[in-house]
Amino acid sequence: MTEKLPRSVIQPRNPILNMSRRANLPHVPGIRIGDYIFLSGMGPVDPETGERRHGPIAEQVRITLNNVKHMLESAGSSLDRVVRVHVVLADMADMAEMDRVYREFFPVDPPARTAWSMQLRFGNGCEIECVALAS
Amino acid sequence: MTLQRDVVPPPLPALDAGKNFNQPTSMTVRGGDFLFVAGLTSIDPKTGERVRGTTAGETNQILANLKHMLEAAGSSLDKVVKVNVLLHSMLEAPNMNEIFARYFADSPPARTVCGARLPDGVKVIIDCTALA
Amino acid sequence: MREVITAPAPGLDFRHHYGHWQSPAIRAGGLIFCSGMLPIDPETGERRHGTLTSEAHVIFGNLKLLLESAGSSLDRLVQVHALIYDSIEYDVLNRVYRQYVANGPPARTVWTAQSEAGFKIQIDALAAA
Repeated sequence: MTEKLPRSVIQPRNPILNMSRRANLPHVPGIRIGDYIFLSGMGPVDPETGERRHGPIAEQVRITLNNVKHMLESAGSSLDRVVRVHVVLADMADMAEMDRVYREFFPVDPPARTAWSMQLRFGNGCEIECVALAS
Repeated sequence: MTLQRDVVPPPLPALDAGKNFNQPTSMTVRGGDFLFVAGLTSIDPKTGERVRGTTAGETNQILANLKHMLEAAGSSLDKVVKVNVLLHSMLEAPNMNEIFARYFADSPPARTVCGARLPDGVKVIIDCTALA
Repeated sequence: MREVITAPAPGLDFRHHYGHWQSPAIRAGGLIFCSGMLPIDPETGERRHGTLTSEAHVIFGNLKLLLESAGSSLDRLVQVHALIYDSIEYDVLNRVYRQYVANGPPARTVWTAQSEAGFKIQIDALAAA
């Protein structure tokens, strides 16, 4: 039996956070497939100015997770429906600070997470990607 | 219909690496039909401490723990659909792969392997998705 | 339930050619989880090293074959991790990638990471059945 789940594109209510469209990139902010939501990786884009914010990592993580929150809520979901997160840091030394802020967004029953370090583009200190359930 | 989400506690306190290393992660989250397992590192299931060694040794410890965690959650290695393997060096891929053959039988999951910078000196991290 | 998608062409059986202990893809719950796709010749199983662009063409050709054999298609991609060996190739990646997802691209995260055999690119794809 092959189920054909409905597939739709997720757009943020705030168009400033639609980096796919703004930068004319070959991706979308997220896809909903059935009741699963897969988001593209997000970074520290200022939701008002659209600029990337490259201050201390705590600030970058906070902006990024607020953007993730916005994206999920635009899709009819929420942070407490997230099941999996991938966190990538440009600098491994930022792990503890990242954890400190991350914990504020997922205070109870956090999603399954994998965190590691890789080279990131645009001078970003972090990139966060997640899978969530629709509400 | 709303998909159900819950955290599946690990079968042994020592396997709750999130709690033991003070990291904000659950180890296994059930979402709808799937179990989403966090990136696992090599942990002693009795003490909860890191077991360091070769990449093969760490892979072996991770997969043994994964087997235990999945079975306690009502799943199994046979139900794993996808694995992501992060290695501190791609030179170790064959060593990691050899251990995989011991744990996954004849219809292994889909898998992606890459080399990256891993935290805390670990040599391998494995996360996976399985059918609940 | 869980169904193995077998290699649609002989070269795409990486377990046979390279001993990689993985299946080409698994279908479960209406989704198709693909193993990281590499630039391997789909007929011969030989490595096709080249530029990031040439490697990407081989990869997407392979993914197209794999997904279509499973009753899906590149148009049904949901999420992709595009693994490139150096972020300097980001624009090159986009130029070739764009050609394959013109009808509605999926979500994507680009990872700068090392792949098998020094390949410049690997594509980790999740599609809908």
